[in-house]
Amino acid sequence: MTIENKKGWISWFNPFKYGTDRWMFALHRLTGIALGLYLIAHVWETSNILNGQVTWDKIMVDLDYPFGAHYGPFILSLILIVAVYHALNGIRLTIVENGLMLPKPYRPEFPYKAKSLRGLNNLLKIVLGIFMILISAIGVIFIFTGVIV
Amino acid sequence: MRESQIMFLQYLTGILVLVFGSFHFLLISVLSPSPEKILYIYNGANATHVLVGGTLYYTWVKAVYSSLIWGSVFELLLTFLVYHVFNGFRVILSELIPGGRAEKIITYALLVVALVVFIWGSRTVVVSLAGGL
Repeated sequence: MTIENKKGWISWFNPFKYGTDRWMFALHRLTGIALGLYLIAHVWETSNILNGQVTWDKIMVDLDYPFGAHYGPFILSLILIVAVYHALNGIRLTIVENGLMLPKPYRPEFPYKAKSLRGLNNLLKIVLGIFMILISAIGVIFIFTGVIV
Repeated sequence: MRESQIMFLQYLTGILVLVFGSFHFLLISVLSPSPEKILYIYNGANATHVLVGGTLYYTWVKAVYSSLIWGSVFELLLTFLVYHVFNGFRVILSELIPGGRAEKIITYALLVVALVVFIWGSRTVVVSLAGGL
């Protein structure tokens, strides 16, 4: 691989050359990195249950009130939406990357519009998109109000 | 392990994380032992975060961690998550920094971090089941 062909992470965000799948890939990576870092923080945070009630209460209150306001529910909602996206797109990737729900291979012809981006794969995106909105909405409503729809 | 086997495990752990992660989300909502199954309760007057009664209160979290079933769920979830997360990091990093030597360094560096996270999380679960520090 020559150095000129190596675009690195910048190429994840090239909006002109690629379709929705590319954007979903970039988002999958970004959400994956965010969730991975969150896991490390979450493992540390929950380990404080061993340090007694005073420490635990302080951490719970501080995490709810990080920068002089009750940002806790907002941060949690963001994590939830990110997790729901990563999970649902992960389901799609598990299906699609195993060659399911894709059209038959064909001879590439100009202008090389990939057929793999049509058909059931697109339907899958729409269905999972609807699920994402529904699950996120239920989760966010629960986080803010405690009501389970 | 061959890369194809590693990727197969990546998909498998992904699905397992989804299953066990769903239980984790149910735990802080409907399955919580707390009387009011709410994450954040604010005291109206000065808007302080009231923990008592909510799912994040010490007593209820402690009760969850003392249960063998939830402990096992957490331990399994942690195992699958650590594999999935750190293999994900490895794939991303070795794609951005190509080369055999770089890949070896990335793999072993991430393995160390993964072990630390796994041991730290397991410590919480195991020590809680054993009755606390």
